[in-house]
Amino acid sequence: MNDKKLSLRNNKKVLFGIFEDGDSALEATQTVFNRGVNIIDCYSPYPIHGMEKAMGLKRSRLPIGAFVCAMTGLSLAIILQAGIMYFDWPMIIGGKPYAGIPSWIPVMFELSILCTAFGIAILFFARSGMIHGKIANEIIDPRQTSDRIVLAMSLDEAGINTDELVKLLSDKGAVEIRQRVNLDNNEFEDNVIK
Amino acid sequence: MSHNITTIRPRLVTKDKSLADVSNEICRPIENKPSTTWKIGFTLAVIFFGLLAFTLALTTLVGIGTWGLNKSVQWGWDITNFVWWIGIGHAGTLISAILLLFRQKWRMSINRSAEAMTIFAVLCAALFPLFHMGRVWVGAYWVFPLPNAFGSLWVNFNSPLLWDVFAVSTYFSVSLVFWYLGLIPDIATIRDRATTKGRKFWYNFFSMGWTGSTRTWNRYEVVSLILAGISTPLVLSVHTIVSFDFATSVVPGWHTTIFPPYFVAGAIFSGFGMVCTLLIIARKVLNYEDYITIGHLEAMAKVLMLTGTLVGLAYITEFFVAAYSGVEYEQYAFLNRATGPYWWAYWSMMTCNLVAPQFFWMKWARTTPWFIFFLSIVVNVGMWFERFVIIVTSLHREYLPSGWALYSPTWVEIGIYLGTFGMFFTFFFLFAKFLPVINMAEIKTILKDSE
Repeated sequence: MNDKKLSLRNNKKVLFGIFEDGDSALEATQTVFNRGVNIIDCYSPYPIHGMEKAMGLKRSRLPIGAFVCAMTGLSLAIILQAGIMYFDWPMIIGGKPYAGIPSWIPVMFELSILCTAFGIAILFFARSGMIHGKIANEIIDPRQTSDRIVLAMSLDEAGINTDELVKLLSDKGAVEIRQRVNLDNNEFEDNVIK
Repeated sequence: MSHNITTIRPRLVTKDKSLADVSNEICRPIENKPSTTWKIGFTLAVIFFGLLAFTLALTTLVGIGTWGLNKSVQWGWDITNFVWWIGIGHAGTLISAILLLFRQKWRMSINRSAEAMTIFAVLCAALFPLFHMGRVWVGAYWVFPLPNAFGSLWVNFNSPLLWDVFAVSTYFSVSLVFWYLGLIPDIATIRDRATTKGRKFWYNFFSMGWTGSTRTWNRYEVVSLILAGISTPLVLSVHTIVSFDFATSVVPGWHTTIFPPYFVAGAIFSGFGMVCTLLIIARKVLNYEDYITIGHLEAMAKVLMLTGTLVGLAYITEFFVAAYSGVEYEQYAFLNRATGPYWWAYWSMMTCNLVAPQFFWMKWARTTPWFIFFLSIVVNVGMWFERFVIIVTSLHREYLPSGWALYSPTWVEIGIYLGTFGMFFTFFFLFAKFLPVINMAEIKTILKDSE
């Protein structure tokens, strides 16, 4: 997976460009992406529209998961209702047929929705590696969830030298630039460049 | 990037807020000691919550005989309140899901609190049918499809009451998922600003390691869209199914095909009424007038006017169809609603729901907070009367005159109803203290004209 290779940990040297607003962060991302720099991620307090394209991300496949969940819910509802009303304990209620399919539709619908909602939420958490109580390791700047946008780039195989990249980022409006060197013992060193 | 700046529409957030301003202002109530207003309000709410506990305990210990129901009117205040609270909940999902699909950005300042309102309202609603079953300790599991070995027979999937169980519980859980998912980025914001140990721990626990990564945002937006997409038919289905509780019966006045759209319009109407009531207070007390602007109130007033008129149209249609049907019982049921012993309920309903919202044709009425507040209360009262009229006036005079009876609630029933307000507001006050009332992450996307 592309995601796995490009994490903050798996790169020796990482450069962070910190921005104050979404528009300049987006422009900077587009520019460095076009220059062939590997973008690890961009952390922002709100979804910046167009950022996923600028980073070259693909559309999520979660909708397929949602569809599978919906079908699971639907099948569950059919099995449940047919099992009870037709196979296990058939009873005549108000002269209706045992398999009164039209009156099963509301529950089929509700269970499809229920399974989709819970399924998609669980898939989303699993795919994003989110769980209750997890420590957020990738907080570069505590303000990245409030009013700063952090662009993280790998310097390992960048087709551009660091000084040029730093200059490019400051031109695009980065208010702070930091370099991180990952050490072997699972620790790292941050240096503020600008 | 090219920016399309529109000058026609007023800005959704006024006074040129920066990203930091939004975080600071919306986190303020969470990060500071509660205000005196909050303390007074919360205490009052808890007192009423206590009343709920007392009256429900009485209902459980003494029995359903503490209520004023009789052999003809078996559904009274309880089901009226159930339908009323469920209806209130509908605005939350409407705002967060349907307005998201329509890309209505004014939803962003109000969706969080409206969703919270949904969840608390559904909780209040669920109490009524549960306790009406009499023996709560068995009623709590009788509604689930459990095998015959548990003492009762399998549930009956042909019954609209069972569909209601599925609809309401699905509605509650899906709303909760939607609400929580929307809260995660904001909880992370509070976590990263937290100064105390307790706050750091709890907000970290619930933020699920959120970092604001674009990869996650990318998926998050897809998930939000899917949840909105499924919540939209869900919210329509819930009140449709609630209306089936009545419409599939053969009681005159209930047995009508207009019920599903009529109930859904009424639900949105009453829900928006409650949103206005809550937010007009909240924007004043929490000082959020730059986020929940007059523009927002005006938009909600327009929704009130539209849905109020739709509901009014349904009342008139019902009357016409009864007259035109040629069925004596139907005709009498409607005549009895308007001129019978409960005429005051019928005409209160007509005045509050059809006439009152027409004031919103005037711009002044739509842009004056105190007036919208006043009318929102009127709307809530009117919608309560609508359910009372549908339920009680239909049941009290059915086919056989020998079965005719009048109904009035006992103090226990009134206590339960007032008590649910206590429960609702207790939860709402806690929500306003511990969670951001406005969705910070979404508001940040619309600060600039370029968005």
